[in-house]
Amino acid sequence: MPEIRVTPLGAGQDVGRSCILVSIAGKNVMLDCGMHMGFNDDRRFPDFSYITRSGRLTDFLDCVIISHFHLDHCGALPYFSEMVGYDGPIYMTHPTQAICPILLEDYRKIAVDKKGEANFFTSQMIKDCMKKVVAVHLHQTVQVDDELEIKAYYAGHVLGAAMFQIKVGSESVVYTGDYNMTPDRHLGAAWIDRCRPNLLITESTYATTIRDSKRCRERDFLKKVHEAVERGGKVLIPVFALGRAQELCILLETFWERMNLKAPIYFSTGLTEKANHYYKLFITWTNQKIRKTFVQRNMFEFKHIKAFDRAFADNPGPMVVFATPGMLHAGQSLQIFRKWAGNEKNMGTVGHKILSGQRKLEMEGRQVLEVKMQVEYMSFSAHADAKGIMQLVGQVEPEGVLLVHGEAKKMEFLKQKIEQELRVSCYMPANGETVTLPTSPSIPVGISLGLLKREMAQGLLPDAKKPRLLHGTLIMKDSNFRLVSSEQALKELGLAEHQLRFTCRVHLHDPRKEQETALRVYSHLKRWAPRSFWLGLGRSGARGGSHCASRQRPQGPLRAAPSRWVRDCGVHPHPGCCPLRGPRHQGAAGVLDLPG
Amino acid sequence: MESAEDWLVESLRLYQDFHAFDLSGATRVLEWIGDKGVFVAGYESLKKNEILHLILPLRLSVKENQGLCPERDFKVCHGGFSDASVFELKHVPDTRLLVTTGLPGSYLHVWQVAEDSDVIQAVSTIAVPDKEGGFWPRVAIFSSMAPGVLHGVRLRSLKVVDLESQKTTYTSGVSDSEELSSLQVLAADTFAFCCSSGRLGLVDIRQKWAPSETISPGAGAAGGRWCAEVGGWGPGPSIASLGSNGQLCLLDPRDLSHPVSSVQCSVSAPSPDPELLRVTWAPGLDNCLAISGFDGTVQVYDATSWDGVGSQVEPLFTHRGHIFLEDNQTDTAPLVTTHTWHPHKPRTLLSAASDASLHVWDWVDLRTAH
Repeated sequence: MPEIRVTPLGAGQDVGRSCILVSIAGKNVMLDCGMHMGFNDDRRFPDFSYITRSGRLTDFLDCVIISHFHLDHCGALPYFSEMVGYDGPIYMTHPTQAICPILLEDYRKIAVDKKGEANFFTSQMIKDCMKKVVAVHLHQTVQVDDELEIKAYYAGHVLGAAMFQIKVGSESVVYTGDYNMTPDRHLGAAWIDRCRPNLLITESTYATTIRDSKRCRERDFLKKVHEAVERGGKVLIPVFALGRAQELCILLETFWERMNLKAPIYFSTGLTEKANHYYKLFITWTNQKIRKTFVQRNMFEFKHIKAFDRAFADNPGPMVVFATPGMLHAGQSLQIFRKWAGNEKNMGTVGHKILSGQRKLEMEGRQVLEVKMQVEYMSFSAHADAKGIMQLVGQVEPEGVLLVHGEAKKMEFLKQKIEQELRVSCYMPANGETVTLPTSPSIPVGISLGLLKREMAQGLLPDAKKPRLLHGTLIMKDSNFRLVSSEQALKELGLAEHQLRFTCRVHLHDPRKEQETALRVYSHLKRWAPRSFWLGLGRSGARGGSHCASRQRPQGPLRAAPSRWVRDCGVHPHPGCCPLRGPRHQGAAGVLDLPG
Repeated sequence: MESAEDWLVESLRLYQDFHAFDLSGATRVLEWIGDKGVFVAGYESLKKNEILHLILPLRLSVKENQGLCPERDFKVCHGGFSDASVFELKHVPDTRLLVTTGLPGSYLHVWQVAEDSDVIQAVSTIAVPDKEGGFWPRVAIFSSMAPGVLHGVRLRSLKVVDLESQKTTYTSGVSDSEELSSLQVLAADTFAFCCSSGRLGLVDIRQKWAPSETISPGAGAAGGRWCAEVGGWGPGPSIASLGSNGQLCLLDPRDLSHPVSSVQCSVSAPSPDPELLRVTWAPGLDNCLAISGFDGTVQVYDATSWDGVGSQVEPLFTHRGHIFLEDNQTDTAPLVTTHTWHPHKPRTLLSAASDASLHVWDWVDLRTAH
């Protein structure tokens, strides 16, 4: 049965953990393997029991594809491959392969060392998991096996993020992962060709939002930083993702230059080295602007931005510092935070507890830190909103769209919009629910030259809008399909040709005179089958009974008996036989026998 | 774009807060529902239009700890499709019903915002008596136990129709063919009308037609097309009337025959599309008005010391965001199609333009800023 089946894994309707199972033409692919950051127990992992029911994961799954390094897309990968057990290939882009293990290790450290969690994957598991990774380039067709192939497309969003096309024969599915349709300062916009897959799978988390422009977010950031610095305060910016920090640096540098500001901006060196390294490696993944600045000068040698030294934190006066890690749980950013938190002139863009509004924090050694500094939480992550999703669907032209991570009731309008505006079916499965799409695969058939020549000799050019009926014999051998003329088929098979003759009575109801009716039928048939058709003329005595007319050229005008009815005998008597065809009887043939 | 960057830097000083959005289709409608939701609707004539119920970004709704809220996006809470273009949309208070009007002007459409899903469904239509090609009826809602829809293209076709029974409960009963440009319900039994000529009137529906009104042919007598809004709390003039030639008149409802003052706004007149003219009173600021419909700007004026006739006035603030942040995809400059004040944030406005942009901005009063 040609069909595509999609099942988003995981329990409940909640967002935060991407893991989708796709079954296409008998191949099984897992898309992403994310962790839910909100849970501290097994609920953070997708529900793999759905697949393990079918046996060993390695046997069942043909491959796993990871779209980008965010933990809600790859966080459960080591658990899945090393603790549940999977030894097959894991595909991802090169930047993802480089950055994933760092984030996984980071998260593992916090979970196990800081929070003391048990039953978590180990550092060795992360390493073993990454050994199963096969890195891919953009637009490179990768053969997973004889039939299954995948191809990565640029998704924007974060460094190394990709959308994937999964193809088996003529059936294909495109998975978007996270993407954005508007370019930002360091990444371009997602791009994919008009590949017309059977299905496009995309997240619907942001499908019902209308996003505030990038410029306004940046404006807000500049305003807050500027105000703090004007007050003489210090600004701490803990950063998560490498690319985003770079972007904010460019922004501040431009602003400082224009406003002629003197307050120093620092960048923690750890981050500098790492970022430098990855940008050098993956320069083709960034957009034009970054490439230009990188080529002109080493990225972090800005005029106004210098490397940070921990001693600077004690300097008086205003300053801005970018530091890691993002959540302030350790390292430089935490140190700086402790120094500056008590002063309300200071400001920081911050991590968990502070984000939930806590103003008193317990530090190591039972120290309590009272947070007087102003806190601003800003989000710069680039996701496609309703408009972006419509744009992408319009670009790709799929037959159907499948949205994951949304509540069907809350997205009825979006479903209607997609179905009406883009004329595609829209599916919204809940987690654990399977959507089955029937597909009509196109089977390629080779046509013999002789047969083609014969058809062409009829004089009519092929026209995609006017399909013509072609007669031939389909020979299926192994997985090879050939269409040859009947004569050739008989020859190849060593069979003799037999001719079958029969007649069938067709009665015509017509109020006109016989002569006139006969003439009309005659001219109609002549038009339909110019080369070979035949009309038999014979008396029909009683009703019923069929006689086949012989292969004859028309003898002249016919005579028809009064009050006849047309009957479609539905028999295809003879290859090479000319069909009588009307809109209702496609391919059915009858022979007109007009009794005189 | 260089000037966009310049403007953005300037905006740090001019705005406390600023958000810019791109709708899928331009809107002429910004109708509040509560203080957290707003309706927008498309006005295309050749394709289906969307009616959307948008929830304000969380950051703009929270009263405290605004800094800890990163949510800057609008959420589409409900949506529906309209074949007709929507020029006006009114929410029926205390219900989940909406009434829309636009071209073609032969019907008003009544919609229901679903409770258990995100769909806005069409429920019924109200026939409009005065069917004229190219004209569309203005609408206002009498909210009460049995809500009524006030509508009309001209003074003679003004009527109130009970929403549920569709029975007519009031007609103007006059033969005056003056064209209406706006209708506004003021109280349980009174409404204000403004004709495109500038003629204004206040009507009590309990009585036979006898409005207190301006002397014809209108406050301006300078021609052009007019619109008006009754608002302004506190003593002094509470009716503002705006003409397509840039003239702004303030009137006292107790004496409509003598305008309190009449000024010339600093706009490039005449307006390219006078149907888009809009004047609104600020709900949270004394004597402040906003106007739009002349170009891609929204201007805020302080009418406190206005008097006399004909003086040129300067705006307190001009919002130029729609011009500077335009995507450069069209050759024509964007035109602001509508604007509205936030119900309780005193200096926050929402404005929409013909390029489908939607801005939410909180301007700084430079007179009081340090």
